[in-house]
Amino acid sequence: MAHRIVGQPVGKLEGLGKVSGQARYSGDVTLPGLVWGKALRSPLPHARILRIDTSRARDLAGVLAVLTAQDLPNILVGRRMFDMPMLARDRVRFIGEKVAVVAAVDPDIAEEALALIDVEYEDLPAVFDPIEALQADAPILHENPAAYEGAPAERPHPNVQSVLRFKLGDVEAGFREADRILEHTFRTQLDHQGYLEPHAGVVAIDDAGRVQVWASNKMPFRLKELLSQALRLPPEQIRVNLTPIGGDFGGKGSLMDLPLAYHLARVTGRPVKMLMRYAEELMAGNPRHPSVITMRTGVRKDGRILARRVKALFNSGAYAAFKPAPSVNLGGTGMGAGVYRIPNLLIEAFCVYSNNIPCGHARSPGEPQMVFAGESHMDMIARELGLDPADVRRRNLLRDGDHLANGHHLEHVRASDTLEAALKASHWAEPKAGPWIGRGMAMTHRHIGVGFTNARLRLETSGTVTLSIALPDTGTGAHLVLRQVVAEVLSLSLDEVEIELANTDDFTTDSGVGGSRVTHTGGRAAYHAAEKLKAQIEAEATKHGIPPGALATIARAAAKDGRTLEASHFYDAKAHAAVTSFTAQVAEVAVDPATGQVTVRHFTTAHDVGTIINPIGHQGQIEGGLIQGLGFALIEEMKTEDGRISTLSLGDFKLPTIQDIPPLTTVILQDPVGPGPFNAKAIGEGSISAVAPAVANAVADACGVRILDLPITAEKVFFALREKVAR
Amino acid sequence: MIRLTVNGTAHELEVPSYRTLLDCLRYDLGLTGSKEGCGVGVCGACTVLLDGKMISSCIALAAFADSREVTTVEGLAQDERLHPVQQAFVDAGGFQCGICTPGQVVSAKALLDANPNPSDAEIREWMVGNLCRCTGYYKIIESIRVAAERSRA
Repeated sequence: MAHRIVGQPVGKLEGLGKVSGQARYSGDVTLPGLVWGKALRSPLPHARILRIDTSRARDLAGVLAVLTAQDLPNILVGRRMFDMPMLARDRVRFIGEKVAVVAAVDPDIAEEALALIDVEYEDLPAVFDPIEALQADAPILHENPAAYEGAPAERPHPNVQSVLRFKLGDVEAGFREADRILEHTFRTQLDHQGYLEPHAGVVAIDDAGRVQVWASNKMPFRLKELLSQALRLPPEQIRVNLTPIGGDFGGKGSLMDLPLAYHLARVTGRPVKMLMRYAEELMAGNPRHPSVITMRTGVRKDGRILARRVKALFNSGAYAAFKPAPSVNLGGTGMGAGVYRIPNLLIEAFCVYSNNIPCGHARSPGEPQMVFAGESHMDMIARELGLDPADVRRRNLLRDGDHLANGHHLEHVRASDTLEAALKASHWAEPKAGPWIGRGMAMTHRHIGVGFTNARLRLETSGTVTLSIALPDTGTGAHLVLRQVVAEVLSLSLDEVEIELANTDDFTTDSGVGGSRVTHTGGRAAYHAAEKLKAQIEAEATKHGIPPGALATIARAAAKDGRTLEASHFYDAKAHAAVTSFTAQVAEVAVDPATGQVTVRHFTTAHDVGTIINPIGHQGQIEGGLIQGLGFALIEEMKTEDGRISTLSLGDFKLPTIQDIPPLTTVILQDPVGPGPFNAKAIGEGSISAVAPAVANAVADACGVRILDLPITAEKVFFALREKVAR
Repeated sequence: MIRLTVNGTAHELEVPSYRTLLDCLRYDLGLTGSKEGCGVGVCGACTVLLDGKMISSCIALAAFADSREVTTVEGLAQDERLHPVQQAFVDAGGFQCGICTPGQVVSAKALLDANPNPSDAEIREWMVGNLCRCTGYYKIIESIRVAAERSRA
């Protein structure tokens, strides 16, 4: 079916405030009497707090309050497992943990006050490596994690936060049938989401005693629930006001400093703003989990996979508080099976406590780690067997009717089409331009997210339609997509549909932004609300004998009867659709033999997608995710030395710049079979995960060196080349 | 006491000696368009023009701008009409979350002022100090190309 507005490359009418500087983010919110909160952080990875002396800080002119754990109720916070104090109580468990907080009339005085707080610590033995943390005699971070609210029951070691397991068939029986069994271990780095807006929040207690919150948080209703619990306030006493969010990528879903901002507001009687500095983001944000992943696969001589066992250790840091899933683990772990039908499979992922920065969710949580391991492993298997890596993949690809590691049944599987499209577009079979140039491929796929969204539509007497929604704008272009959906259903032009940003008073619930869900759940909520409004408009038109297209006349006729034409819809998708989106990518790299420097000469990305609602936004998601993936592959690393992050600025922790992007070919396989509006699928997390293994496989092809740990720096390639020559 | 002209308006104000130009713009003058990202002059979100030249206002002192002219993102649009660079970023999808965008459009404007017809290589060279985590930069390059084409037309 042809659409008028769905599928059109409209960039207009969105973001005028963003290009003009008028858009107000949380950090831009100001209120009369506003004061600034700043936190003092632990300089030690594991220590007992013997004494905190805040008297000198309290005496500083301009300081309104200084709080320590002794001034706060003993409540632990989290997103699913509640194991983290708002301020450290008796003990710190990572460098950067908050031990005191100050409110002052300006940010500089607040900083000065922090320097006047004396804390006496007594060192405790610390553990940083997840393998060491699981030894019998390892220092224990939490004496009784089972007692924490939301703690999973299975705990083979006190330093284990959670275990996630996927099982198909009988893995040992599968290994017994195999001609060859290959095992490799991979490591991935600690990596920040890299949003350029550090966490920001403003909390004010208004005249009615209500707690007003402006925060860089993508799940306003979950935030309200979590705040209600952390502050022991009834939820209706809290209102979360939506602001644009300066980048999320999975990292903006926690309470972060908001409970402290509330307590400072309560004590000082003033609105409180807390902005993290980027250095604080890098020492105490909630970055992507580093991993150690071992893959063991049994194959037949022809490359057919018979069995696979995957063991993943995620170094979760000092608290589990930032992980939102009920498993308190990373869902991407299931991608240990890759895009392949593996009859006998056992995947086990352990999130492990250590005296490092607590980790959280980052764009497609767990998948870039698992897909790097899995797709590097596939190429290594092909090489061992003397087979073409494309052929080994072809032999094992998922097909219609197959089941994923989590038992989920699949239809409309386009794994093979996507792979062939990427190979063709990348000229895979053609000769390379010279020595030290290599090509590598990698694949992945991702579900279309689930959740629940509320949408409300109102016909204005001007004839325009207002869409009210409580989904914050994290930059994905979702608001424009929703307007396109409404305009399409109601046969309006795009500028006749306006967005009105709701807050948490306006609806009862919403699952917020994340998990590749918004086009699906928000889109369907808007779609069904528009269908309902359309029916009302038609009924009203008939009643008054007005043509159904004369919206202003219809709205005014209804208004004359004292009515407003309104419709709302709550869309709740509980189960994942039977379709996923496949991605196949090919990197072509050049390796400089003198330095080990890897240059990506060209990148091809192929995507199996649903109906595209907005081609500009859709392509923007592909490109942005891909360059994040390239940063993960080659550049980004938060280096730690005994729990201390040594890359504490964006000058040391490097993100890709405009000079780092390769020539790009995008191939789109559009297939209208998604669960979203007009059969859309999801795209936001589809392009990130396969980039690193495609690059690693290309490096191996270029120079015969296999890098097993990310990022693939020039130094690693250089030394591996030297070792290879020595052999 | 410093005197500075911001987006054509003269201001006289008293600020502590350690006040950064960014904080002065944001908190003393209420111009919150310029953003603090990295806070160390690396990411470019705080880029403003000082006498027409790009600087990172997060690492410049307000006193440094004394007797000089500052242009921020709020000063690019004329009479409610977006600057061609701003309009091109809207039309070509040159931003997503928008937090780096004020710095991007200020830098892009400075580029086109200096070089109305930049090659892709010149765009990349000039814009290297403006990080963007959302777009992967392809559409930023496209936006600047579109702005340059329209300015020539």
